[in-house]
Order: sequence, then C-alpha cells, then structure tokens
Amino acid sequence: MTEPYYPTSPEPPVPPAPTGRRLTARHALIVVFVAALLLVLFEGSSIRGAGEEMDPGIARELTLAIGKPAGWVSDRLPFDDWTDDALAFLEDEGVGQAGAFDSAGAGGRTARGVPRVPPSSFDPVELGERAAPPGRLGTLLVTGDSLAMPLDVELARDLADTQVNVERDPHIGTGISNTGLVDWGRLSTEQTADLEPDAVVVFIGANEGFALPGPGGEEIECCGPGWAAEYAYRARRMMNTYRRGGRARVYWLLLPAPRDGERQEIARSVNAAISVAAQPYAAQVRVVDLEEVFTPGGRYRDAMTIDGRRQIVREPDGVHLNGAGADVAAEIVLDALRRDYGEALP
Amino acid sequence: MVFPSYEFAFFFPMVLALSWLLMPRPRLWKPSILAASYVFYSAASPGYALLLAGVTLANQLGAVLVSRSSDEGARRRIMAATVAVDLGVLGLFKYYGFFVGEIGRFLDSLGLGMPLPLLTLALPIGLSFITFQAISYVVDVKRGLLEPATTIDFALYLSFFPHVVAGPIVRAREFIPQLAKPRDPRDVAVGAGVVLIAIGLVKKVAIADYLAREVVDPVFGVPEAYAAPDVALAAYAYAAQIYCDFSGYTDIAIGVALLLGFVFPQNFNSPYRALSFRDFWRRWHMTLSRFLRDFLYIPLGGNRGGKLRTYRNLMITMILGGLWHGAAWGFILWGALHGACLMVEHVLRDREVKSPPAVIRWAIVFHLVVLGWILFRAENLELAGALISRLTVAGDATLWAPATVAAIAAVIGFQLLPPDPLDRLRVRFAALPAPALGLGLAVVVATVGATVPSQGVPPFIYFQF
Repeated sequence: MTEPYYPTSPEPPVPPAPTGRRLTARHALIVVFVAALLLVLFEGSSIRGAGEEMDPGIARELTLAIGKPAGWVSDRLPFDDWTDDALAFLEDEGVGQAGAFDSAGAGGRTARGVPRVPPSSFDPVELGERAAPPGRLGTLLVTGDSLAMPLDVELARDLADTQVNVERDPHIGTGISNTGLVDWGRLSTEQTADLEPDAVVVFIGANEGFALPGPGGEEIECCGPGWAAEYAYRARRMMNTYRRGGRARVYWLLLPAPRDGERQEIARSVNAAISVAAQPYAAQVRVVDLEEVFTPGGRYRDAMTIDGRRQIVREPDGVHLNGAGADVAAEIVLDALRRDYGEALP
Repeated sequence: MVFPSYEFAFFFPMVLALSWLLMPRPRLWKPSILAASYVFYSAASPGYALLLAGVTLANQLGAVLVSRSSDEGARRRIMAATVAVDLGVLGLFKYYGFFVGEIGRFLDSLGLGMPLPLLTLALPIGLSFITFQAISYVVDVKRGLLEPATTIDFALYLSFFPHVVAGPIVRAREFIPQLAKPRDPRDVAVGAGVVLIAIGLVKKVAIADYLAREVVDPVFGVPEAYAAPDVALAAYAYAAQIYCDFSGYTDIAIGVALLLGFVFPQNFNSPYRALSFRDFWRRWHMTLSRFLRDFLYIPLGGNRGGKLRTYRNLMITMILGGLWHGAAWGFILWGALHGACLMVEHVLRDREVKSPPAVIRWAIVFHLVVLGWILFRAENLELAGALISRLTVAGDATLWAPATVAAIAAVIGFQLLPPDPLDRLRVRFAALPAPALGLGLAVVVATVGATVPSQGVPPFIYFQF
C-alpha cells in the first residue's frame, strides 16, 4: 500500500554548519580551558562558596573538590577583588553583615537580647501569653524559600482589594541552616530595615538539613536535639528581628510532611525547632500548623478534600504545595491574620 | 544539570577533552559519551535515567521489528504500538493528573462525584522532547527514510546531552549520520560555538531572568495590583523573556554541540519579525513546527482534503501542539488561538483579500502573539482573564524602569533589524584567535554571573515541558 501523504524531507539530512572561520578541536579545548582558568583565577572563591551552599551529594563534592583549591588560589591573588569591584554595580546592595548568623562571633555566638536555646527546651510547653492588639496592618511581608511560592501570590491576590501592601520576597534554594546562598539572619535584618513590615509570614524549610556550628564551634549534623537547638536559635533570632520589638506580628508556618523519608526527618526537626523558638515571643509570633491540615499525623498525601472534592495539593516533587494547596494555606494564614487584625481583612 | 551551573562548567571541559581524545576510536567514544550523557541527564534524579533507557530500548525494538517485517500491515501495527508506548509514557507522567482532575470535576458537576486515584507524578525532565525524537525515529524507519541505527547510536541520539533536556528536536536522520564516522578534529566551528554559548548566557541570565524578576513574575502573580500600563509592559516583557529564555537555551545547546563537532538544526529565526502566523511558526521553535507538520498535520491529511479539512487539521495540530507544552487549559487555548489565526490567514488568502501594509501586518501578528503569551504564561484561565481585563484599567506605570523598557525594546528591536549585519558581526567575533575567544567567554560568564541574584538562576522555561 502506498502512503501518499507522507512527505519526503524538505530539509537536508544533516543541517549545515554555521558559516565562519573553522578551527581545530585543539583550539576548542584551548578556548574552554582558557575560560576555565581565568574563571578559577578571578572567581575561585565564588566557586567554593557555591559548593558550600549546595545540597549534600556528588555535585557538591565535585564542586568543592574544584572550588576549594580554586578558592585557595584566588584568595592569594588580587584578581577576585578586582572582579568584585568591577562588577559590583551589577549586584544587589545589602546592609553589610548586620544581623548575620555568623557575625555574632564564634564560641557562644549569643546575640544581644536573644537567649540561647538549650536542647532541653524541647518539651512541649505552651506559654499561652495573650498578645496586645496590634495596630493597622499596613505592610505584610511574605518571605521564605521556594515553599513561600505560590503562597505569596495567593496572599497578595487575596489582599489585593484591601489597603494592605503585600511585599513578596521568597528566596529559592535558601535555608536557615545554610548561609552560603543567603544568610537569613542578615536578610531578615535587611528586610525589616527596608520594609518595616507590620506582619511577616515566613514559610521556609525545603532546603534544610545542613550541619550547623554548635556553641563550641563544632559541627552538629542534622537532625537531633543539638541540631534542632541550633536551628531554633537561628529561627528565634529571625523571629526577634521580624517582630520589631513587639510592633509587628510574625506568622511562621510549620512544614507539611514531605514525601521523602529523609526529608521527613528534617521537617520533623525543623517543626520542633520552630515551635520551641517561638515560645518566648508567643505574644507576637504565631506558629501556623500546616502539618495538621495537609499531612495529619505526619503522613504524606498528594491529595485532600477541599470543598467536598478531592484535589491534588502538592507539587510532583512531594515537597511544595501546588496552587490549590497554596490557596488552602493562604486561607489558614488569613484566618490567623484576622484573629490579630480583625474582620476588616477579607 | 543545567547549562548555567558550576556542575556543567566542570562537566563540559572534561567531556569535551574526553570526546576529542576518543573521537578517532568510535568503539570507545560512543560508550563514553553515552555514559556522560546519562550522567548529565540523571543529575536531576537517577531514576529518570532508567526511564530514558526503557524508552530507548522500546523504540529500538520497534524500529528493528518494523525494518525486518515485509508485511505493510504488520509494519504499521508495530509502529503504532511503539508510538502508543511513547505517548503512553508521556501521557502518564505529563497528563495523568490533569485528566483525572478534569474528569473528577466533570463528574462532580453531574453530581456523580467519586474518589479518583489522584496522584502527583514528577515529570521526568525533557520527556516531551525525548518522546518526539523517539517517535520521529520509528516513523522515519517505517517510512523508509532511515535504516534502523545500532542500539548504541540510537541511545546516543536520544540521550546526547546538549539536546536531551529541551531540544532542539533533532531528527534521527539529522543526527545519526553524523555518528557514521568520527568528527573531523581539523574542522570545528569553534568561534561560532563560543559566540552562541556567550549569546545564550546573556539572553537567559542577563535578560530573561531580569525581566522575569522585575516585571513578569510580579504582574502575572497578582494582576489585580497593577493597572493597564504595567500589565501591558508585563505582556511585552514576557514575550521578550520567553524568547530569550528558550532561544538562549537553544543557542547554548547548539554551541556546545558545535564544540563537540556536531551540528543541530536552527530553532529560532527572529520570530518577532513575522508578518503572518505561518511566518511566525517558521521562525519560532522551528524544530517543533516541522515535527508537528511532518508527524501530525500531514498525516491528518494536510491541505489535501479541501478547505474545511485543512482548517480542521490546522486546528487539531495547533491545539495538540499547545497541549504538548503542558496539561493546562491555558496551553490548549494558546494553541487554539494560533490555530484560529492560521485558519483566518488561510481564509483571507483563499479569498484573495488584499493584504494591508507590512507594518500593519507586523503589528497585528505581533500583538496577537503577545496576547497568546498571556494565555501561555498565566497560571490558570481565571488569572489570564484578570490580566486581560486589567488592560482596560487606567492607573500608574509603576514598573516602567528605563532598564526594563530598554531590555524589551532591544530584544524585539534586534529581531526587526536586517539579519546580515548581525551575522557579519557574529562571524567577525567567531574569527578571533582561540585565546581571545576564551578570554571573551570568561568575561561574559563573570559578567553575567554578577547579575545572578541570591535566588540563583531559575530553570529554563521549557524544562517544564
């Protein structure tokens, strides 16, 4: 049987190569290795920094295997500084090291006004302190890592017709336990200084599990009480920053259980740490329990019943909330906001 | 693994050196590059590599059986079964959740709600591209346009790391003949490859991501917060963003392949200078356009069954082309909009309606394309409607920063310039000596890297497809 509608190819079998000068394979290697060498000399410390902020795994090991010697070389040469100076105009401005987790000094690392959190704190104690009514909700900051997306959008949409100014500032791939990409101590200080938010919604924890430096400078691996205590200490410092001496409210969301077992272990520690970290600030800091809604009993599920209909609420990665899930989370946050700011909110 | 990453910066020089070192010995070169490609692909999740291997074996088996069978009916059945396997895998990972959700919604509306097995399945990266390339191989073997390749050649074709994740959709008969003999190490388009990589990085990191951060994401996220000037700016910005994002990826992929001695087909040719939708689809994602033409539109009958059948075939092709991008009504409507515009063009041409001046045609086509991008980018139809309705709301232009406007104007304006001077400029850069090319590449990487915010480089838009 003939098949008249099948075309013969109008294109040549192999596409033509681009016009222009031809070189040899040796030249290709020279180009790539010259570029790589220059980047090691001028950007070596950036490679090392990038490796340190990666999730544990082969890619991180590989990047550090090259980044550490590259960083060592670039530390001893002035080129890195030249590049930084030359390209500084392209980078975001910050507030220096103010508030950074690592800027309080090694050893005790106790920031002024923030009590340390010993591991023994991890008993379920609720302070139950009643908060004084806050003022008008003018600016709401929604921040965190990728978990805060699309929650930030949902909240902004829900509050679009109100006088509330919703500032969205999620930082993908970042974590409180990893200061390589973003130091959340510093960032929270910067956000608070820049925006002076009346309320802050924080949803972070997708990229946690990095070893944390302990009180004596030793590394504490995730996810025992020691790690949780250090995590809680960092979170508490952020809460203290965000609550702005009592003028602002903080809504810190607990993590719904992720699908992956290893991540579940991290999420349990993070949630425990957040609950403990918030205890001294119960008047201003609300711990919003999403776990009970999305993954009751800590059991992961893709779908749940919303308005009488089963709907998928998680992204395929088993970590993030999808649009429908974020919609539910936004409603829960709005409920918490209404409790503090009254029914003027939608 | 993505191109603008440290992992790839370490991976590629090693693979490039290994490739040219082993090139004279195909028995070593092929398994080595195959292994490197699987390392590249499985960087996201090792499990995906098993799926890629499974798709490879299934299609190779289908192609071999097709070629060995002399009975036309059997050949057709084997081809159909193989294509069904490919589409089944794609359907399971890409469309299962969408269709089960929509069926559930429909049953609910009839009062017949029932618990359906709702699951979220992670879409293996590049699966849509892999599927199309696998289909093109089996169908071309069935059509007699291609002999079945050896298993390792076919595996290399499907997994070759420069194109495995997001194309371009290279046809088997474009790539596999390039494996027939070692690439000539004395004839490598080094300059062209490096220039493409540099241009791709600038497009993706410095332009596309900047526009996304500054304009597109805020407005498409919460359209209610913006008035017409900002919504219009965001629509133009998204047109520029998606072009720079996808063509930037393609530039890097083609450049990387050139350094390895391979040639990929062109995927973009100044799409925003199109004067008709037909012209647009000859310039935008060209390898998808020709796939849809050769494997969907023409097999449906093309333009051979009369006007109505031609219109029907155009509409089916474009709607399925939209659905290929993702399981959402926005993509389907986007495809339908393009199908409708193509149909209108056919009708006007058939009736020999006089064309308006070129500048008017350009403005109409460009703005309809931009309108289509709103459907494409909006998270759902409700938001797309909100965005379009906000175009009628007067208000302040809060996002019209000079850098943003300049970036959008540059992306669109460059495409309106005659291509020859730009090509001559590219050829002149490509003719620089190798150390100068290396220096230039390093300067571009460092400069572009300095614009990366703390959030890092977001994934390419087409990775999700």
